[in-house]
Amino acid sequence: MKKVITGNHAVSYGAQLARSQVIAAYPITPQTQIVELLSEFCASGKLNAKFIKVESEHSAMTACIAASATGARAFTATSSHGLALMHEMLHWAAAARMPVVMANVNRAMGPGWSVWTDQNDSLSQRDLGWIQLYCESNQEVLDTTIQAFKIAEKVLLPVMVVLDAFVLSHTSEPVDIPEQSMVDQFLPPYQLPTKLDISQAKAYGGLTSPDHYFEIRAKIQKANEQAIIVIKEIDNEFNQMFSRKYGILEPYRCEDAKVILVTSGTISGTARNVIDGIREQGRKVGLLKIKLFRPTPFEDLRSVLYKAQKIAVIDRNLSFGHSGVFAQEIKSALYGLGAAPPIFDYVIGLGGRDVTPNDIYEIIDNTFKSESPQEPIIWRGVRL
Amino acid sequence: MKWLEKYKPPVPVLQKESDYPNWAISSTSTLLNHTGTWRIFRPIYDNKIPPCNNECPTNEKIQGYIDLVKQNKLSDAYKLILEDNPFPSITGRVCYHPCESACNRKDYDQALSIHCVERFVGDWGIKNVPLAKPIAKHKETVAIVGSGPAGMAAAYYLGLAGYNVTIFEKKAKLGGMLRYGIPTYRLPKNVLNNEFKKLAALNVKFKTNTAIGKTVTLDVLRKNFDIIIICHGAHKNRPMGVANENSDGVYSGLEFLSVINAGKKPKIGKKVAIIGGGNTAIDAARSCLRLGSTPVILYRRTKAEMPAVLDEIEAAEAEGIKIEFLVAPEKVVANKKGKVIGIECIKMKLGKPDASGRRRPVPVPKSNFVLKFDSIISAIGEQVDLTILSSDVAKTEWGIKADYLGRTNVNNVYAIGDCVTGPKTVVEAFGAGKRVAFKISGEEHNIEHKVERPVQFSELNTDYFEHADKVKVAELPVKDRKKNFNEAHLGYNKISVKDEVERCFSCGICNKCDNCFVVCPDLSVIKQNGDYEFDYDFCKGCGVCARECPRYAITMKEESKVETE
Amino acid sequence: MRFTVSEKELMYPGHVACPGCGGALAMRLALKALGEKTMICLPACCWTIIDGPFPMHSLHVPVLHTAFETAAIAASGVKAGLDIQGKTDITVMAWAGDGGTLDIGIQALSGAAERNDDIIYTCYDNEAYMNTGIQRSSATPKGAWTTTTPEKTPKFEPKKNITEIMIAHRIPYVATATLAYPEDLINKFKKAKEIKGTKFIHIFAPCPTGWKMAPDLMIKICRLAVESNIFPIYECENGIDYKINITPKNQIPVVNYLKLQGRFSHLTVKEIEQIQKSVDFEWALLNKRSKCNP
Repeated sequence: MKKVITGNHAVSYGAQLARSQVIAAYPITPQTQIVELLSEFCASGKLNAKFIKVESEHSAMTACIAASATGARAFTATSSHGLALMHEMLHWAAAARMPVVMANVNRAMGPGWSVWTDQNDSLSQRDLGWIQLYCESNQEVLDTTIQAFKIAEKVLLPVMVVLDAFVLSHTSEPVDIPEQSMVDQFLPPYQLPTKLDISQAKAYGGLTSPDHYFEIRAKIQKANEQAIIVIKEIDNEFNQMFSRKYGILEPYRCEDAKVILVTSGTISGTARNVIDGIREQGRKVGLLKIKLFRPTPFEDLRSVLYKAQKIAVIDRNLSFGHSGVFAQEIKSALYGLGAAPPIFDYVIGLGGRDVTPNDIYEIIDNTFKSESPQEPIIWRGVRL
Repeated sequence: MKWLEKYKPPVPVLQKESDYPNWAISSTSTLLNHTGTWRIFRPIYDNKIPPCNNECPTNEKIQGYIDLVKQNKLSDAYKLILEDNPFPSITGRVCYHPCESACNRKDYDQALSIHCVERFVGDWGIKNVPLAKPIAKHKETVAIVGSGPAGMAAAYYLGLAGYNVTIFEKKAKLGGMLRYGIPTYRLPKNVLNNEFKKLAALNVKFKTNTAIGKTVTLDVLRKNFDIIIICHGAHKNRPMGVANENSDGVYSGLEFLSVINAGKKPKIGKKVAIIGGGNTAIDAARSCLRLGSTPVILYRRTKAEMPAVLDEIEAAEAEGIKIEFLVAPEKVVANKKGKVIGIECIKMKLGKPDASGRRRPVPVPKSNFVLKFDSIISAIGEQVDLTILSSDVAKTEWGIKADYLGRTNVNNVYAIGDCVTGPKTVVEAFGAGKRVAFKISGEEHNIEHKVERPVQFSELNTDYFEHADKVKVAELPVKDRKKNFNEAHLGYNKISVKDEVERCFSCGICNKCDNCFVVCPDLSVIKQNGDYEFDYDFCKGCGVCARECPRYAITMKEESKVETE
Repeated sequence: MRFTVSEKELMYPGHVACPGCGGALAMRLALKALGEKTMICLPACCWTIIDGPFPMHSLHVPVLHTAFETAAIAASGVKAGLDIQGKTDITVMAWAGDGGTLDIGIQALSGAAERNDDIIYTCYDNEAYMNTGIQRSSATPKGAWTTTTPEKTPKFEPKKNITEIMIAHRIPYVATATLAYPEDLINKFKKAKEIKGTKFIHIFAPCPTGWKMAPDLMIKICRLAVESNIFPIYECENGIDYKINITPKNQIPVVNYLKLQGRFSHLTVKEIEQIQKSVDFEWALLNKRSKCNP
């Protein structure tokens, strides 16, 4: 059934269709509508779940981990400072291998307080072992949320579904909301292999000496590596059922591109239009939209990017003291490939400053015109 | 790479990644982790001797039978007493209860009325427990001279062991001091008679009206019996050593009591002076009262030095009997016909202590005065009749020479009780009787379990006890008992005895209160079939069990001093 | 006086608590009351270590270890997860130390209490951050030595009264208990098990190591704390109906309690007098407050 809904509500529908059983969330702009609609679902009986109105995000993630440990499907949503507050428990969720699904609305970190979009919040959490999926449209948000549960429960790792603040969260788009029966077919009920069980007196997560810790951690990495294959499989299954496919990376007109622009999130949509325009002008440019950020799909990145002559990465984020995060990832993916193309790191749009088609045009144009990047970070649209 | 060999780590238990769960899921119990290796001290269950058991001249297992009464196992309690004291109904009435003076509860509120509990059990046992039969058969014959408490106890244990015992008694009835010395209001005659039934059931034979030394000599006895036990007590009256002592109206305390206890009315006046401070003096005074006379006790030291049982002194005072302290007789005052009309006394004061440890009374010069009395009872102590002895038996200054087990210098001739020690108490005589019987029957090792230092009050943990005073014993009101010889103390009943035994600390002996089991943080106290055991694989030696044991039945022992098996 | 306590154990020996640990005995007794259908959420505290290192576990019930400040919300999460799956007959208990309750964990505890989540929250109070090496917490009593309040500057602030804080939340059941009265402790857990909503039980659990006292005095110290009114044993239902369970017949002076512990050995006579005054005041206040139901 098609409905015009905001990105936030798309998340809510996704969590509801996936039959979440325990929801623990704390409101924070711009995520509030997610939990508001879910509250209404719970109240009306559309969703049979326990909604714990926790008193902080840290508690929200703990509640989700605890509920997940008992064998209940857990969901939460947050943004920016809430995500930062959860940091300790994000470590815990991944290391405990709990398949918690969380929607994170990318919002800039303070101080000064900002509610507008940038990616620093979710990217700061990239080392933990969480799977991170970046979405471009409300339809993708809803579909990814549903897929996220299946992925999480298969590989036993928590999944973060990321969407841009306001640009996606508060913008309405037409979305095809699937039928509950079809989602039930796609996503069977949650079966956790080892869970808190009254008949088995076990302790979960106790003191682990150096003799044992290393192996358990190695397993997290193995699971992450396995996840790439699983995510692709589930994407295919989803396509077969719902006729929508996203892939872990979405190359657009990359086969013969001289310059490939790498983006993520809503900028991808804007970029596609600009690329079409530039192509008409005769320059061969392509777009690679990164959906799966973690685990890093090294092979898939290389197979698309190695052919390009230059790569322009749009980073709506910055790892202070280094450079934009996506650029770092691309560089490390292409390292060792012999003659890797030069990578231009464009940092733009921090704190929600608008990224216009003009900005994208100039970025691509600059890339074509320069042999190699002028500096490690190429600042765009900032009054330095 | 030989130099690397010494750095090789130990092989871990879990070898491969697939051995590991997804995260740290622990499913083995800590029973693998033997924390017993942490210990410096280890607790041991170590029963110790309580002061009551320790002080008792018969070494009764007092804590034991009190605990059985707590559990309502009266038959077991009775049988436990009988292991050391065959006649609890007697000691329960007349014993001077050194156990109570030693009872640790006295330092908390009031000592337990142990003798009242013993009386209750003894009386119950007589009614409800069948009389014991001999458990073996010996061919030796035993002659016991005297049917007083020493002889009774010896006869009981020897009869039980299966010896052929004959008791020779000078008087018409059995019991010695128990019958002829102690009045009925303290020890009713039917109680005494019931106790003798125990001896009859053990095939003990009695020959009354048979005075050894008169009817038959000791030498004859020695020819006809394998073993002789002399226990004819101390019944000779000690003279006062004052002028006119033989006047008409001066009586010996023992003689006086003997007549009353034989069921006859003695000759006695209206105003009676009783000289002495022991039980005989008190008994004589209280008996006088009941016969309608007005007795006054004259004692040469103070109340603290009176050798009589404190209960008896207080009972006499409660009945209104006057005691004059620090007064000694100088001369009996008689009229022209030789009849007593008074007694001249001298005041005394306390000087240095004498051989008994009591302060010697010293006359105050020129303090003579006369008190008017028409009768005088002399009760200043008894002496032993040594004339019945064969010439080869050794004597001491006051009696027959015999050791702690009753052995004299002659083989198979034993002597026990007052005839060895001079006048002492019933319970000490019972103890002597038990010891000589155990010696003869080869049970020497079972005679006594005593220690220098029984459990002290400071070693107990009284946090688990509420303060509670002694449960009062029912007694006849004073006005009722002054007129007759009915038993003055009525003893405990089933309810009052239960309340009283609850106060027992059970010093030094585990009575299964579960404290150690409840307070152990390391689950190292194992309860099995009602018994406790420490699990030394896990016990860390914290000592909480020992500290919280109310009765000091757990000792902490240094681990290095423990011999490992 | 004879304790009657069930013989069934849900805890194994071989755990690694210090000798004489109050917290170890507290868990043993609590589990006797709660039985096998219990799940425990353990935040970072001494019990994290006592439970035993991976792969050993000293309890016969499932335990979810969780981060320091999250005991209450982990329990709420577990309870919600179980309830939504229809497993509604399982008791969920958060078992935290004083640090994880009064300091870093008070936010989660207050949140859970406000929502009246159906959990039992037990704080076993050894009056400092014992697991990390005896640093002061807000449960450390006034005048006590800890490694962060050395003898020259012992703890200045009074002990935070978490019991009254929880009573103010008006949750269905709040109680204090200690180990010298094991039957009282067990009864309180049994009572809490039957109530729906948030239950808070505050257990006074001495730490011989951190209080610098002989381990065998552990139970005695509990008793002295109650008999000197330093730690009153009482309960309160719905934040209004108080019941003082133990009123000492003869209140003993606080010095009897203080002198057995090395952490108070530096106190002067004047300081002890002040402590006595404040203990008397708090006891009088508690008695008055307990009669305040209009």
